[in-house]
Amino acid sequence: MRIVAPVSRLSEIGLLAQAGASEFYCGLVPPEWLGRFHALSANRRPSGNLKSYEDLAAAVELAHAHGAMLSLVLNAQNYPAAQAEAAVEIAQRFAGIGGDALIVSDLGLVHVLAARFPALRVHVSSVATCRNAAAARLCLELGARRLILPRDVTIDEAAGIAAEVPDIEIEAFVLNDGCVFEEGACHTIHLPGQMGGPICLDRYRYSYRRRDGGELPPHLAARLRENDEAYERWLWYRFSCGFSTTPEGLPYGPCGLCAIPALRRGKVAAIKIAGREAPTARKLASVRMVKSVVDRVGGGADDAAVRDFAMALRPSEAHCATGFMCYYPEVLRVEAN
Amino acid sequence: MDTPELAVTATRPIALDWTAAVPAVREQHWRRVHGDASLAAWLAPLAPTHLHFGSEFCEHLLPSPRVLREAVRQASERGLRFALLTPVASPGVIERLDALLPLLPDGMEVVANDWGVAHLVATRFPSLGLVAGRVLCRMTKDPRLDAGWAGRCGHALAAPAMRALFERLGIRRLELDMPVFPGEEALDGLPLPAGVHLPFVYVAKGRMCRVGSLSMTGPERFAVGRRCKKECLRMSAAASRPGREDACSAVQLGNTLFSRHSDAMAHSLRHAVGMGRVARLVVAGESL
Repeated sequence: MRIVAPVSRLSEIGLLAQAGASEFYCGLVPPEWLGRFHALSANRRPSGNLKSYEDLAAAVELAHAHGAMLSLVLNAQNYPAAQAEAAVEIAQRFAGIGGDALIVSDLGLVHVLAARFPALRVHVSSVATCRNAAAARLCLELGARRLILPRDVTIDEAAGIAAEVPDIEIEAFVLNDGCVFEEGACHTIHLPGQMGGPICLDRYRYSYRRRDGGELPPHLAARLRENDEAYERWLWYRFSCGFSTTPEGLPYGPCGLCAIPALRRGKVAAIKIAGREAPTARKLASVRMVKSVVDRVGGGADDAAVRDFAMALRPSEAHCATGFMCYYPEVLRVEAN
Repeated sequence: MDTPELAVTATRPIALDWTAAVPAVREQHWRRVHGDASLAAWLAPLAPTHLHFGSEFCEHLLPSPRVLREAVRQASERGLRFALLTPVASPGVIERLDALLPLLPDGMEVVANDWGVAHLVATRFPSLGLVAGRVLCRMTKDPRLDAGWAGRCGHALAAPAMRALFERLGIRRLELDMPVFPGEEALDGLPLPAGVHLPFVYVAKGRMCRVGSLSMTGPERFAVGRRCKKECLRMSAAASRPGREDACSAVQLGNTLFSRHSDAMAHSLRHAVGMGRVARLVVAGESL
């Protein structure tokens, strides 16, 4: 099971590889992109990107020196014609410097890039929102070698897709950085904080109403208030427990460590650590956490032992018990049974 | 001007007797549903031609075979052509569509909001009319933006790579929302006939559903894919940002955030219709 880690600085590659990452992914904003398109990024992140082709070439070299693969992210929501042409140019340069894989969200572009650059692997981004076997078959037909599932899948769904379409690798999220909406179905911009920030963290106030125009009965209004309070708690977990860490730097927040044994049995090929924009220390702690669990699973520990180990890592038993920090909360149901 | 077709959407069986009534009755109907006299007066002369039935956004609102048959029959009785709306699909949705799609006669439309559903229809049910829904027809539609962001709110539907994908899958028609900053050329140059939704654009859609978690407790509350009690059929939430003056009002309905057309968007849509750029208007058939 491959551990896929984000990088945004060259200095991170050696550290994360030594900690156990087997693949890296990064973004690049070519210097000409901003002037040409007045867009901040060639991918979904205005920051957390490498700044030049020289850095990208060095990143490829460093990754290969550590026996790891480097993927380049091209995962904007869509690429109008001129941007698609520019993305092909980026891919061409990436192929020329020996890059390994492109992570692509636009299925039209997936086919173009897979056909033009057979030496590069194409991985379909989670932003493509492909989360069933029929979509996986389409990705395969378009030339993709891997499908990165969106966050919002269950373990059984991931395993089912892997079983139905064994010729495409499946990658699933395992740690950090949740979303409220589905990434590929969220047509908003992560605005600067003073403009409201990400829409799911903006201070929207909800005023519930009956769609038939009638009055909400008091008991229902009370239940909705309780639900909103619970939602606020869930939201705090979803956004990394207020973006907090342990004193040792281990991150809280969306986590699928306990699910690793089931994902492995389900033939999920790779597990993804999110957070290109995170500080190096958080990335390093994340890789160490995931690697320590993967090693135990590989060593034959049973699910319960893995779960106990994972929950004690930070430690985070109280947070884990809520289920709100889980990418795959069904693991808690299995435990209860 | 070419008169566009007019589709009425519904997630559950709704009364359709008004569709064949005189324009004054239709105007009254639209005013009651959307509370907008100008919109109602504009729509009233257009007799509905289609019923779009199902859900674009939620796997739990896909109709059962019985409800689907009844909706097809009801549409046919009213002289309306039928299209099945389908959501972003979990594996369970694909299984259920395997049972539903054979119930549709040849040529009937399926609006796909998931590439897997599109692939399923293209490969297993090629006699159905495949339509790319607005989840697949992406563009930035953040209701909080001001005009300074207009350059980032376009779509890529005319890009050669997208055209090739539409062609590969046999997609016949597109459905999309109004751009939030529509210029004079809005909706021009689309590669296929376009259906345009009104009076709301969908902004963001989750699989997790806040109101759908109302009856859940424990660790799997707010988790994805869990059965809900379809609370969204009965209630919605007006979503406002205190202290902000957004041009578009927002509504959360189930797992999806919508925003209502601004005056500029409504004006631009009417202009685009006048220019013959809109093949079909797709009007929300129920109050949000």
